[in-house]
Formats: sequence, C-alpha cells, structure tokens
Amino acid sequence: MKLLKRIFPRTTLHAVIIGIALIWMLPTVGLLVTSFRLPQDVAHTGWWTVFSHPFNFTQYTLQNYETVITKNGMGRAFINSLIITVPATFFPVLLAAFAAYAFAWMKFPGRKTLFMVVVALLVIPLQMTFIPILRIFNWLHLSGTFPGIWLAHTSYGLPLTVYLLHNFIAGLPRDLFDSAAIDGASTMQTFFRLVIPLSVPAIASVVIFQFIWVWNDLLVALIYLGGFRSVAPLTLQVASLVGSRGQDWELLTAAAFVSMALPLFIFFSLQRYFVRGILAGSVKG
Amino acid sequence: MKKAVIALLILSLVGTIAVFGFAAKKVTIAVIWSGKELDAFESALVPFENQTGIDVVVESVGRDLPTVLATRIAAGNPPDMAAMPNPGQMKEFANKGVLVPLDGLSNLADSAKAFVDLATVNDHVYGVFISADLKSLVWYDPKVFKSHGYTIPKSWPELIELCNKIVADGGTPWSIGLESGAASGWPGTDWIEDIMLRTAGPDLYDKWVNHEIPWTHPAVKKAFQYFGQIALNDKYVYGGTTGELLTNFGDAGNPLFTNPPGAYMMKQATFIQSFIKKSNPGLVAGEDYDVFVFPPISPVFGTPMLGAGDLISAFKDTPEVRALANYLASAQAQEIWCKALGKLAVNTKVDPSIYPDPVTAKAAQLLANASAFRFDGSDMMPAAVGAGTFWSGVLDYVSGIPLDTVLANIEASAKEAYGK
Repeated sequence: MKLLKRIFPRTTLHAVIIGIALIWMLPTVGLLVTSFRLPQDVAHTGWWTVFSHPFNFTQYTLQNYETVITKNGMGRAFINSLIITVPATFFPVLLAAFAAYAFAWMKFPGRKTLFMVVVALLVIPLQMTFIPILRIFNWLHLSGTFPGIWLAHTSYGLPLTVYLLHNFIAGLPRDLFDSAAIDGASTMQTFFRLVIPLSVPAIASVVIFQFIWVWNDLLVALIYLGGFRSVAPLTLQVASLVGSRGQDWELLTAAAFVSMALPLFIFFSLQRYFVRGILAGSVKG
Repeated sequence: MKKAVIALLILSLVGTIAVFGFAAKKVTIAVIWSGKELDAFESALVPFENQTGIDVVVESVGRDLPTVLATRIAAGNPPDMAAMPNPGQMKEFANKGVLVPLDGLSNLADSAKAFVDLATVNDHVYGVFISADLKSLVWYDPKVFKSHGYTIPKSWPELIELCNKIVADGGTPWSIGLESGAASGWPGTDWIEDIMLRTAGPDLYDKWVNHEIPWTHPAVKKAFQYFGQIALNDKYVYGGTTGELLTNFGDAGNPLFTNPPGAYMMKQATFIQSFIKKSNPGLVAGEDYDVFVFPPISPVFGTPMLGAGDLISAFKDTPEVRALANYLASAQAQEIWCKALGKLAVNTKVDPSIYPDPVTAKAAQLLANASAFRFDGSDMMPAAVGAGTFWSGVLDYVSGIPLDTVLANIEASAKEAYGK
C-alpha cells in the first residue's frame, strides 16, 4: 500500500510532465518534419501524414535545406548576425555587471533612486524609442552601421540585465566583501576576483537571454541597420526567403532550423547555469 | 580585454567609413518583395546599372515596409525610393509632402492611362506602376468543363444555372479559401469589390472606397448578398462555409485538379498561377487550367476589371532617382520583371510575346481591353477598414453573423478611420 502510494504520484507526475512536454514540442516537430518534405506534398497533406508510412524515404528530401544554405547571401547573413550579436551580448552584460555591483555594494548618494529609474525603464516599449533614437543616430551618422546597432541593443538590454544581475550580486554574503576589504583588495580587484567568478551562473543566464533576444531580433535591425544585403542579419534573410504572398514557406521551415542551430547550441552548453541563474536572487538569506 | 574592445571599435568604424564613405552615384530603394520577386526585381535593374553606371542598392524590408517607412520618414532618413504598399498609402505620403512629384517622365507616356491616373494626387504624378495583377478571373479546368458539357457563363443567371447543374451532377461548383494568416478574409473582399463594380458601377464604387456612401448603403448590402448567394450556400462551396473559412487561399485551387474534381471553379487573381503550378507540377497552362472573366451582372455596367499593381515612389529628388523612375516605367524594365513573375505589364509598348504562358497573355489582353479598371478597394481604404474590419467583416458574414450587424460594424470603424 505504502509502496503503491509512493510509486503512483511519481508516475502520474511524470506522465503529466511528459504530456505537457510533448504538447509543447508538437509545433516544433511539425516544423521539423515539414522542412524535410517536398513542396507539393506540403501543399496537399498535413505533416503528420508521413507517420502513416514513416520508413518510406522517398517522401523526404533535403532539397529545402540545400536551397536555403546555398541561397545567395545566407552565409553573409550568418556572419552579419554574429557581428551584431556577439558585441551586443558582451557589452550589455559587462556594463550590467559593473552597474549591478555598484548598485548592490557601493555607497553613493541617490543609489536607490538611480536603480529604480533603471528598473523603471523596463516598462518603456522599445517601439516608442525608434524615431527619436533614429534621429540621433542620423545626426551621429550611426544609422546603417554595426556600432549603431550595438549601441541600440546594449541600451535596450541594460535594464533587464542590470536588474537580474543586481538581484544575484546583492545576495552574496557581506562577510566576503568585508574580508576582501581587510585583505586590502581594491574595488576593481573585488569585482574581478570575487564578484565575477561568484556570479558565473547569473551571468551565464543573462548571456543566454541577451544572446537569444538579439539573435532573433528582426525589427530593431530593420530600423537601425536596414535590409541591405551587406548588413542584414539572418532573421531578415530568412524572412526574405518567403514570397510576399506567403508562397515558398517550406523554405521557411528549413531556414528556421538553420537559424535555430546556434541559439540551441548556446542554450544547451549553458543550460546547467540557466536553471541556477533563474533562481538566482529569488530567495535571500 | 580592454585593448581588444577598443581595437574592435576602431576596426568597425574604419569598416563603416570604407563601406559608406566612398559611395559614388547610388540610389537606395526599399521594397516589399522577397524571394523570387526580389530576384526578379534585381535582375530587372541590371541593364539600368550597366547603361548608366548608377549603383542601385535594393533593400528588402518585407511586410514591415509601412512601419519602417513611417519611422524613417519621421526620423529624416527615408530611402531614395520605395515600393508603396498600395496607392492609398502613396496618397497619404503625397499629402504629407514627403514624396517627390515625378511628372514628365518620358516613359510614362507609354503607360496605361488608368495606372498613371491611379498614381496621380492633386494633378501630380507621385508614383510609377511597374506591373499589375488582374483580379476579375475565374480559374477552371477546361478538360473537365468539356467532358461534363459545361459552358462558360456569360452572366450572373448563367453562372447560378451552371452552379445548379454541377450540384445536380453531384459535384461542388466553387472552391473558396479565405484563410491567409493575419490577413484572413481578403480573398472575400475581392469578390465583393468585383460584384460591387458589376452591380453598382465604377462611380458608386469610387464613392464607396472614399466612404462617400456608408457601408450600410443598399448597394453595398446588395454586393454582400450576391457574394452570399454563393459563399453561404453549403452546396456550392467545397467543404461548406467551414471549409471556406479554414482553407488557405493558396491551397483553394487544389480541389480543381483532383480526380474526380472536388470543385470546378475558383475566383482569384493572376498571381495564383504560381501557387497552382507549385502544388500541381505538370499542369499545362491553357490545357489543364484556364481562366474566364467573372461574368457581368448588370448590363448597364458590363465587365469592369478589378486589379492591383506594384507601385514605386521617390522620396529624394536627384537626377539618378529620376533616371531610375523613368527606367522602371520603360518597356525594357517591365519585360524582365513581368516575364520572370507572370505579372502583367503596365507599359503598353511591352511585347505580348514575353508572357510565359497563354493564360497570362490572355489576362494581359483582358486588362488592355478593359472598358473600366478599378484598383482593389480594400487596398485604397484606410488600413483600419481595408486591412481590418472589411477582412474580418467577410469572415463574420461567412460564419453566419447577420449582414446588417456586419455592415454596421464596418461602418462604425470606417467613421472613425475616415474621420467623417
């Protein structure tokens, strides 16, 4: 009886979790299956029909992937995406770590107010800022350039990254800083030797957030960089594979998987930090 | 680390100066096209670049074009030229004074007058049409029609008679697909516009588009009712009203080519041919599928043609921009562009033999000989109506909501959108 009680709730729990996971994954599986199907099959039958005879390999094709990868400009777009995303992840995370440390442990007048202002910036929809910022960028000749978009992504990313890192860094034990001060560590030394190594889980999860946000961004790039092939990121190139009336969408499914590859790799390589990082700062003490 | 960051910044600055600093004669043009259409547009520009040495940089913005244009205009750096989403938007920009008038381009003299008029605001030409699509077409399988003894209807009663005959033979006359993602409902607006042109005439149609008559006007109601005669009849439409609401417009043609046919007719614009060919490779234009004109309803108004077109306007007045605008109006440019995509040229000097198949050639002929031509009304109306409540109104009507409620709803939003 006891045994049954112990086994039963766990199996139910697992069944429910697996069920939810399956439902969650269903659209992605459909996308994956569709990306391997022939255009005329896609038009006539649903993707699930492949499972009626799953080992009939004539119904699958690599043609969509071939078109997407060999298509003019895809390689250039991948590099553009990297050029945009790497600095636009590095700068905000570095700046946010500095700021979070300062807000959490350094004493200066107006610290709380300033922190509130930064956090309050979270509620401003970025679409509202396009016109004024684009004006400033035009004046500085930054529109259509990579430094321009790094600056844009850095400032859009800062409020959330500062907030997340602040919560984590503020939760580090005070004794650490006291003993560091007694040992004669400067502020910079404390930051680089203590705070950074201890915050790796939080930093990793913030890196994932910011990386995926920038990598998947279409609108910000379109406004500040434009759709020129020399600067357009992967998202724009993927969107331009589809005809303006939504034809050729079997290419979209393949392109979606190509553009998902790098974020998935980043996510899986950092995911053990991610779970810890999300919980970071949620419980103090 | 610090040094690396500084070096990276300097490098990128140098890079941007190298890219943007030494730009010679150059025209930037933002377009809505992507995929095959973008490739076709770029290949149409090649002769111009070779002849003039002007570098045309095409920026594919996609569906966000209206947002991007509005933002860049407000921020003061619009592209040199841009494709307009529709003539309504062009008119809005022209009235704001952000567009450059393009009067007096020599090649405009060869353009069909109806299209020059469509791009004219307050007696100035603000855009160049490079191609058109014809919407007043019904697609069918001529072999199936022949084997069943069906003939092409020449009037509305003949059309209904044909429908009844097909039903009596155990078939379903129409395939209608209203689904189109966030734009669902638009295929139905084409029906209503075509019927409106045929029952109320082009003049009342213009008044309706400009909201000089309300949506509750009897003529508008009548157009919806004609549409309802077919669209609300479960026997006439493949899959009934439910199928109609759930079928994507791009897939609606497929039942025409199954054996036995799921449906016999589909009303759709010229561009649908690429969808038909893609889903049913091996079909031969003119043999396995063909078009007939959506029949006239009132003898007074005959068969006016409904269509849409691709329009380009300029934001900056430079000799290069004018040269490019003039080139885009030329037969040379339109031959390349239309040949690649099966679109219909607007320049009347275009050689009819460029059309890739007899069906497109037939559509071009129909367009050239049209007694009256009107632009897709939903594209001309303010977006809140033409790309909003009109679309959803069609869906509401087909899903069974009473017509008076549907029209009152659209009218309420129109009052707000037109500001009168």
